[in-house]
Amino acid sequence: MLQKQWFYGILIPVIIIAGCKKDPLNHLTNEESRIYVTDHDSTANFQSYKTYSISDSVSVIQDNQNAGQLLGLYEINLINAIKTSMQQNGYSLVDKSSNPDLAINVSEIINTQTNVIDYSMYWDSYSSYYDPYYWGDPGYGYYSPYSLGTYTSQTDGTEIDLLDLKNASANGSKIVSLWSGLVMGQDIYNPNNAASEVQKLFSQSTYLKAN
Amino acid sequence: MAPISKNIRLTLILMFFAFASKAQNGLQMDIAYRVDIPTGSFTNQVSNASAKGFNAALSYSFNTKFSLGLMVSYNDYYQKYPRALYTDAHGSTISAVMTNSIQQTPIQVVADYKLIDKGIIQPYVGLGAGFNLVSYDQYLGEFDNPQNAFKPTFSGDAGIFIPVSRISSTAIRIGAGYNFTPLNMGGIKNLNTFDIHAGVRFPFN
Repeated sequence: MLQKQWFYGILIPVIIIAGCKKDPLNHLTNEESRIYVTDHDSTANFQSYKTYSISDSVSVIQDNQNAGQLLGLYEINLINAIKTSMQQNGYSLVDKSSNPDLAINVSEIINTQTNVIDYSMYWDSYSSYYDPYYWGDPGYGYYSPYSLGTYTSQTDGTEIDLLDLKNASANGSKIVSLWSGLVMGQDIYNPNNAASEVQKLFSQSTYLKAN
Repeated sequence: MAPISKNIRLTLILMFFAFASKAQNGLQMDIAYRVDIPTGSFTNQVSNASAKGFNAALSYSFNTKFSLGLMVSYNDYYQKYPRALYTDAHGSTISAVMTNSIQQTPIQVVADYKLIDKGIIQPYVGLGAGFNLVSYDQYLGEFDNPQNAFKPTFSGDAGIFIPVSRISSTAIRIGAGYNFTPLNMGGIKNLNTFDIHAGVRFPFN
């Protein structure tokens, strides 16, 4: 009798403990799993910029190294959605040879080494992902006055960076990042999600307007 | 002479009555299901009641009225908020579905005193003090920011025992209590809860 009582007295709580926690990850849809992170240079006057140019493909940054360019359906939809949002916000698309005020780089950030993606490190190596010569003169460097933080994740991210070409010389030959938008979470590389991802990033950045 | 807190005085009074009562000592175990309702600043993170909780206590009954033992409890709190904008520690703006997941595992020394130890309904009061192992996960989307804490905890409860038969010491226990756990984590100042519990007390003899 005593052993039976002990058995049930110990077993029941152990079973309850093991099965009790409600795992939040099991109660999220793919859309709910996604986060949209934006930050900007708080000193920037976005109304002083009128034109922009955008890279014609998306760079793949794998484990802090440039792993090439991509232009699949997701990337095409992403770039088109950025163009649409920029136009809606009053910015005009020009060729990069026409001295645009702004440049836009788009990256897919893939991390296979650990579960931690540190976006301050992303900026530390930015010159190795994007040759400054593509947007400006040789010898230019990149600089971001903000960082998007560190996230523990098994998923990858898409980042859009808005760069100041207009004042690169005045900024000491530095191409300063004015705004960044980052999408992370499940199913972000689905071509059907590209437009809504961009739309969310721009809609939470109400200061990002030319007029 | 240093002032004695109300809780200590009440405990001493309970112990006096316990040892003055007729002896019927022995080991006993309590198993109970409990529902906890957050109160105070705890509701800023989770306002939903926890319907996933239990108490398990092993105690020694010094007589028919007083028992002293060790109780382990557990409850799981969960709340998901619709997508909203937040500002993180870096000053970045984040659009996310926030989910707060909190687990409490208090381990307490508990004392129970039956106000009446005969009849179908035997009211009791109880006090507890110990430590609370707290696990706090705040998810933005699928991204977790886990934190843990080990904090002092105190509890008080009252209710009734209903013996299952005249010859058995096994009894159904139904009660309600209040639980205090001070905390300073993620904007939470405390994890205070009101609880109701129902279970069984059975002796090891």
